[in-house]
Amino acid sequence: MTDSFLTISGFRKTFGSIVAVEDVSLNIPKGEFLTFLGPSGSGKSTTLYAVAGFDDPSAGDISIDGRSILATPPHKRNIGMVFQRYTLFPHLPVGENIAFPLRVRGHSAADIAKTVKAMLSLVRLEGFEDRLPAQLSGGQQQRVALARALAYDPPVLLMDEPLSALDKKLREEIQVEIRRIHQETGVTILYVTHDQEEALRLSDRIAVFNHGRIEQVGSGEDLYARPATRFVAGFIGDSNFLKVREVERRGSAASAILPDGTRIENIPAHAGNGHAATPELMVRPQSLKFVQGSGAGLAVKVKDVTFLGDTSSVLLETGWGQEIWLRGAGSAVKTNALSGPLHVEWNPADSHLFC
Amino acid sequence: MVTATADIREPFRWTGMGYAVPALLLLAFFFVLPVLALLLRSITEPELGLQNYAELFATSTYARVLFNTFLVAGVVTLFSLLLGFPVAWLLAIMPQRWARIVFAVILLSMWTNLLARTYAWMVLLQRTGVINKMLMATGLVSEPLPLVNNLTGVTIGMVYIMLPFIILPLHATLRAIDPAILNAAALCGAGRWQIFRRVLVPLSAPGAAAGALMVFVMSLGYFVTPSLLGGTANMMLAGMIAQLIQSLLNWGLGGAAAFILLTVTLAIYALQLRYFSGAAGTAGGR
Ligand SMILES: Nc1ncnc2c1ncn2[C@@H]1O[C@H](COP(=O)(O)OP(=O)(O)O)[C@@H](O)[C@H]1O
Ligand SMILES: [Mg+2]
Repeated sequence: MTDSFLTISGFRKTFGSIVAVEDVSLNIPKGEFLTFLGPSGSGKSTTLYAVAGFDDPSAGDISIDGRSILATPPHKRNIGMVFQRYTLFPHLPVGENIAFPLRVRGHSAADIAKTVKAMLSLVRLEGFEDRLPAQLSGGQQQRVALARALAYDPPVLLMDEPLSALDKKLREEIQVEIRRIHQETGVTILYVTHDQEEALRLSDRIAVFNHGRIEQVGSGEDLYARPATRFVAGFIGDSNFLKVREVERRGSAASAILPDGTRIENIPAHAGNGHAATPELMVRPQSLKFVQGSGAGLAVKVKDVTFLGDTSSVLLETGWGQEIWLRGAGSAVKTNALSGPLHVEWNPADSHLFC
Repeated sequence: MVTATADIREPFRWTGMGYAVPALLLLAFFFVLPVLALLLRSITEPELGLQNYAELFATSTYARVLFNTFLVAGVVTLFSLLLGFPVAWLLAIMPQRWARIVFAVILLSMWTNLLARTYAWMVLLQRTGVINKMLMATGLVSEPLPLVNNLTGVTIGMVYIMLPFIILPLHATLRAIDPAILNAAALCGAGRWQIFRRVLVPLSAPGAAAGALMVFVMSLGYFVTPSLLGGTANMMLAGMIAQLIQSLLNWGLGGAAAFILLTVTLAIYALQLRYFSGAAGTAGGR
């Protein structure tokens, strides 16, 4: 890709016999907000720390603007970072924390004063200059950390689960701030989280990590509507994985025969079923609809109905005893007589076959 | 019922203090009384007045001893800090298994008899000792350096003895600093030296101050090492007090010298309580 600004190619990292990252390659254009999303231990932080320069890759290269940065020590990389833990300097007041990178760089007093003021207003903490970090809440500390990381106008900003210690409401509040700051500054952001909602809310693109590899990179919508692997399908959004008895592939589409003999045609098919040996058919709970009348579709029994305000969730059991979820508008679900044998159907194009 | 511990911490609430009376009497009898007796003798012998104190400061030999004492204590504190910081830092960042071994060595040396350790330095530092032999062999010096029976010897021996008292509190404060804070400083653009100066030193200042004050106070009153390594010509305060009282039987002058030492020690202790015991809790980081 020609417009790649931050490039990670063939990155691999081992700690002794532990393989933290197998093989990661990414092309990140300037100004993009890219999130590493994945379960704990999938290698997100390790990749981020390699960009920061705290750990040398075991293999691969990382470059900014076409130049490899591997030989550059962290303090010369000019990269900003907000950490998972609170890392403000406890002996310095807020203003001096933000001024720190500028003092280290030998900026003039006037310049420092101006930048500190601008940064404080960027993170909406005007008037907090003289407070010590211990006098701030967790959310305020992370906002100061963000201001400190942006004070020297770094081309790349790294964030390693900066909001994981905060409660949900505060987290959402700061997510909005981060989004705004990204738009105002245009800085390229690499963001790490294990929270899919956070990833969807913030990112231009998401790289889904699993076992030290990237399973898929794409916009939230891409990952949700067109998951490339079973892992992505299961990790982003809610999903049902139906057992499949037989598959007939025709190019990128396939037909599947479910254990009770139901035949579904024209399903997008993918190879990435991870470690599972048997093929599975993924359908989102929202894609499932009750069939008006009877006969066609998949025969199910209703086991439980949960009313959730705008929507209702219905727990169903298939003919072969598998439990699946259906979600629909509260009224749509209610109008059906939820007793006796029922049938559900879905648009095959909205389901995915992993085999 | 009021608990005894709560009362000991509050000296002005006498209720229930009865439990502590025997202990307090013991303390008064063995510590306060002798000090008071000494103070009394220093202002009454040979006659009532402050002439003993005047004599201490006016007589050049005595003044010289006072000066030497503070000089050596200051220099010992300085070198202990300079040597102790890198050691404490290494101990904080080296793998725990190794650090435990180094700690064992430090503690073992602390528990070894003081006289034995001081005599060992005497052997090492003398004209024909290992250190001078090595210096001569490498051609760094042509004459053996006078390393013993002078203040150099006293300083070397005392720095060695005082090092653990700096290393232990410093190590504790350094260990309490979150490495992520140092990573953050590095990404902010700070190189090793900047991180040391702008982050490590301020964050470890409470530990350094606690250690330094302890070393300074201990050095002021140290007896064995200065006596053995300094020789008679380079007496320090504790040695002078011993000589005034034991050899010259001059209780007035000896008492005055002892009282000066006590006052300085208490003043420094008060300083530490006032400025550093509180700060150690907050500035150590999380
Ligand atoms: N310094 C290290 N030494 C040994 N193993 C490590 C080290 N850092 C990370 N790992 C291992 O590498 C894997 C990936 O870790 P990490 O990148 O921190 O995951 P994530 O940030 O996605 O939760 C984990 O199995 C972790 O135990
Ligand atoms: Mg992590």
